[in-house]
Amino acid sequence: MSIRRAYAVNQWKPNFDDFCRPDAHLRAFKTVVAAGFTGVELRGGTGRWDPLGRPSSIENTYGSLAAFGKVLTDVGLAAVSSWAVDPGEPVDEELSHGRSVLDRGQHAAIVEWARPFAAALAELGGSRLVVRALPAAWQVGAVDDAAVATAAECFDALGAMTAGHGVRVSLHADVLSAAADDDVLDRLLAATDPAVVGLTVDTGELTLAGLDPVAVVRRHAARLDHLQLKDTRFVDTAGERLRPHAEHAFLTAGGDREVERWFFEVGTRGGLVDAPAVLDAARGAGYDGWVVFESEQTPNPASSVMLNGWYAGHRLGL
Amino acid sequence: MTYRWAYMDHWRVDTPRGPQTQYANRRLMDDFVKQIAAVGFEGLDMFDFQVFGLTGMFGSIGKYQEYLQDHGIAKIVNLFRGIMYDPRVADAHVRGTHDEIVESTRRMLGMWSDLQIENLIVMPASLYTSTAPVTDDKIAAAAECWTRVGEMSLTEFGVRTTGHHEFFCAIRTFEDIVRFYELTDPRYVSFFCDTAQHCIAGVDPVELYERLHDRVSGFHFKDTRQQDTTGAYQHRPDAELMAPQTDRWFHEMGTEGGLVDFQRLVRAMDAHGYDGWVTVEHDKANIGGDYAESTALSMWYAKQVLGKVAS
Repeated sequence: MSIRRAYAVNQWKPNFDDFCRPDAHLRAFKTVVAAGFTGVELRGGTGRWDPLGRPSSIENTYGSLAAFGKVLTDVGLAAVSSWAVDPGEPVDEELSHGRSVLDRGQHAAIVEWARPFAAALAELGGSRLVVRALPAAWQVGAVDDAAVATAAECFDALGAMTAGHGVRVSLHADVLSAAADDDVLDRLLAATDPAVVGLTVDTGELTLAGLDPVAVVRRHAARLDHLQLKDTRFVDTAGERLRPHAEHAFLTAGGDREVERWFFEVGTRGGLVDAPAVLDAARGAGYDGWVVFESEQTPNPASSVMLNGWYAGHRLGL
Repeated sequence: MTYRWAYMDHWRVDTPRGPQTQYANRRLMDDFVKQIAAVGFEGLDMFDFQVFGLTGMFGSIGKYQEYLQDHGIAKIVNLFRGIMYDPRVADAHVRGTHDEIVESTRRMLGMWSDLQIENLIVMPASLYTSTAPVTDDKIAAAAECWTRVGEMSLTEFGVRTTGHHEFFCAIRTFEDIVRFYELTDPRYVSFFCDTAQHCIAGVDPVELYERLHDRVSGFHFKDTRQQDTTGAYQHRPDAELMAPQTDRWFHEMGTEGGLVDFQRLVRAMDAHGYDGWVTVEHDKANIGGDYAESTALSMWYAKQVLGKVAS
């Protein structure tokens, strides 16, 4: 096994009614393959407008997971590398408004919610269920040790379940998450079971939140089991990510600076992410999994795929 | 199959400052070159007049090629000469203008002489509407013109002159195209097969390739969904951009409803041992589409479909 390139499909779906038709999926997959990627990372979702959002939606759209897998194979993709999910998001199919890992009473439901994802990943050749580590910082406030312990119990249970499918739970700290904090992240990883819970390092999200992804990789080398590469030209020095409704005021609207776009292709001019250093650190730690390239907020998904593909091939040697 | 893939440049992108080409600034040029290199292109085809902008941007055309090589593109393979035909100045079927065509071509190739360009691509005659009626003598005059140009370009610059027959070109039918090559000196004039242009004109590009394979020096691989059924080739002032039949004649390889049988063409190319450059083109991709996606889809088709057809 060696490091392989995958691409996240999240950039194609800014709104519920985008990226619904299979022919649009096919164009995206072909673009990804043409640029040298061999896997795709799916994004969790719900409802009839998100046909790739959950296993049952794929079955409704493509007939079966196997039929979807054949579409991937025919187009030249080897696998769904991973599935990025957030337990806090609503699930129409389960009449859920979203669940919290900080509420012990909801842990069992979270494990059951995740079970089909793990099974589907196994069927589609994937190995990582990428789970949002904690809800938004502005929603949960200070994360004390009790909160960390509660979340860790949930992730351990989740990890034990997915391990039965050969899939690892990998914690993902996005820029808004309360886990995008060195201290919280350290305590959360320390509280979880290394046998079944790993760490996703998302370079753009951590950098924007003010963390150093190279340092995070080095500090948690033994837990790193998934890499998501994207770049940013900015750091949230004003702490806007911690303010109420940061999803809209900060991430979407651009915050006080009215930044047009937070995330860019790896190697973008003025980019703050040292992707070669991240990769060197990961390789030094023996990392040999998927490297998932992302480009949320791109004005042109195909263009971003190609730019990331060029950087992966010509500057990262992937 | 040992083809190397080149990209015929018509690229433009939407930017916060509106639609722009990569000749507008270095950032856009960086993005363009990285994108085509990412999907497997090794060569670049472009219009001759870009020498002015590139020299301004990079200092010299040689410096531009070094920059391309640093980013994964080996060379500029073919130049398309955007000649403005006018029977008073330069028109291949008007013998009195041949000296000007030869001299202006010499001047133009001189500006690119630092590079190892392989083909100078020309439309061998003016618009159909500007030439009609198309007679044997007009075809003969055009053949004389390009034989002179071809001898000059090959002997002085090492560049082949090659004919590219747009669907609105005066030399556009199967019979007239074949006749043109019969009348030109095969040492100096070769044939550049543009798959979509021939399809639109009602000519099977594979049949044409079979007939002229020993004269072929390159291809434009692009598709079309429409044959010209309305006499659009006679539309003034421009049939490609303004004919009422459609606002977009060209699409990328693999497009749904495409008329070009690329798999059959590749089998024919293999049978004749073609091993040169193949150029991908999809001009006007921005009309209801996007250059980046069309480019990636084209190369997906080249690698995943044609790569498995070819021997």
